Amino acid sequence: MKKKNSQLLKSGHLLIIMIIVCVGLMIGTLTLPAVTAPVRTSVGFVVSPLQNGVNTVGKWLTKQFSGFHDVQKLTAENEALKKQVSDLTQENNQLVQNQGELTRLQDLYNLDKQYSDYTKIAAEVISKEPGSWYNSFVVNKGTKDGIAVDMNVLGQGGLIGIVTEVGGNWAQVRAIIDDNSSVSGMASNTSEPCVVNGSLLGMENGKIVFSGLRDTDNEVTEGTSIVTSNISDRYLTGLLIGYVSEIAMDSNNLTKSGTIIPAADFRSLREVLIITDLKQRKENESTD
Amino acid sequence: MKRKLIIFLLVWICFILQTTVFSTLTFFTAAPNVLIILTVSIGFMQGRTEGLLTGFLCGLLVDLFYGKIFGFFALVYLLVGYFCGRYSKIYFDEDVKIPLLLTGAGELFLNLMIYIGQFMLRGRTDFGGYLKGVILPETVSTLLAAIILYRLFYKLNHSLVEKEKKGRQSLWIRN
Repeated sequence: MKKKNSQLLKSGHLLIIMIIVCVGLMIGTLTLPAVTAPVRTSVGFVVSPLQNGVNTVGKWLTKQFSGFHDVQKLTAENEALKKQVSDLTQENNQLVQNQGELTRLQDLYNLDKQYSDYTKIAAEVISKEPGSWYNSFVVNKGTKDGIAVDMNVLGQGGLIGIVTEVGGNWAQVRAIIDDNSSVSGMASNTSEPCVVNGSLLGMENGKIVFSGLRDTDNEVTEGTSIVTSNISDRYLTGLLIGYVSEIAMDSNNLTKSGTIIPAADFRSLREVLIITDLKQRKENESTD
Repeated sequence: MKRKLIIFLLVWICFILQTTVFSTLTFFTAAPNVLIILTVSIGFMQGRTEGLLTGFLCGLLVDLFYGKIFGFFALVYLLVGYFCGRYSKIYFDEDVKIPLLLTGAGELFLNLMIYIGQFMLRGRTDFGGYLKGVILPETVSTLLAAIILYRLFYKLNHSLVEKEKKGRQSLWIRN
């Protein structure tokens, strides 16, 4: 009986100590966010090769399951073609935007070169966040490959997200469909700015939301493309976010809000492209 | 000691599988949460202290990689592990009903805490929508996975305990 009591006391004490540790950690991160970064980086250094390996094994297995040798060849070819298609779609999207808008913008902002001059690095998605509350993932390129925080991530014809954390051989990307994500966008035809927010509930129907769009002449309709805005300080200008799916006047009668269908397909993310140009740096260069 | 080491390894394996293989399983609408199954199983089979430590480790890993507030997941998983440890008294055989119940309770608790701590406080008040769209699908797929995984953890635990018992019986290996 005595022994049981002392055991109970022991685990009870441990519980209280651990709760205090956890609460301390939470307060720590909220007040001094810089402290946890080195810990994350070092753990990531150990784990991401493992995740990379497990993923490779998993992919190999799926490939084996997918059938005979011929089928394999076809899948490989198909993958390469898909990659090409997504690259071309991306390029095409840019060109389409250029056609309608660039001539005017060129005169106004001198943006002539920025659209296609970005250098990109391809990266593979190696792990996704556990649980269904968030949409962030880790890719297999890091500081060694020149990745830095705030770099924009593209894939499959549109904007995917932004790099939020980076380690030696990995980088964490927050998708634009994440509930915490907020992107400054604009309608491609009117250049009026709006805010695009990820939405967990909206993504069940494949949609994210936008708000605060001024559209006095009713030029923005269903199907209008929304691109990243020129006033955003982290997102490069003119990356395609998606197409307007619903739009309605807000109760203030000044701005409009609605939903967007993202251009990128977030369900089957395998490869992404990271733009290694940072908006801040790019602008600094151009002012020099 | 050996048991602790094996639990430690199990946590790592589960975490890596969770973030790679399980997150990409397409036939579930929501990925099963293997970490909560592990925490519940260890707590239920080995007691409060082990459950608490396993939960803490699981949560810490999630925090390290994807945490928004460091320590949040550690705290929630730790509480789940401790809570399940309280029921280790009634653990005696392969019966899967009670661990399933505990897994369901743990999963609901975890998701509720995430909702309250990180969504409701940002003004997302549509609890019904989140319950239907996120919490229930994940709970169901976790319970399905738990039916299989609990058996696995049970067998592992059983063989470990048997070996430890044998070790205790011979005086030489004892110290």
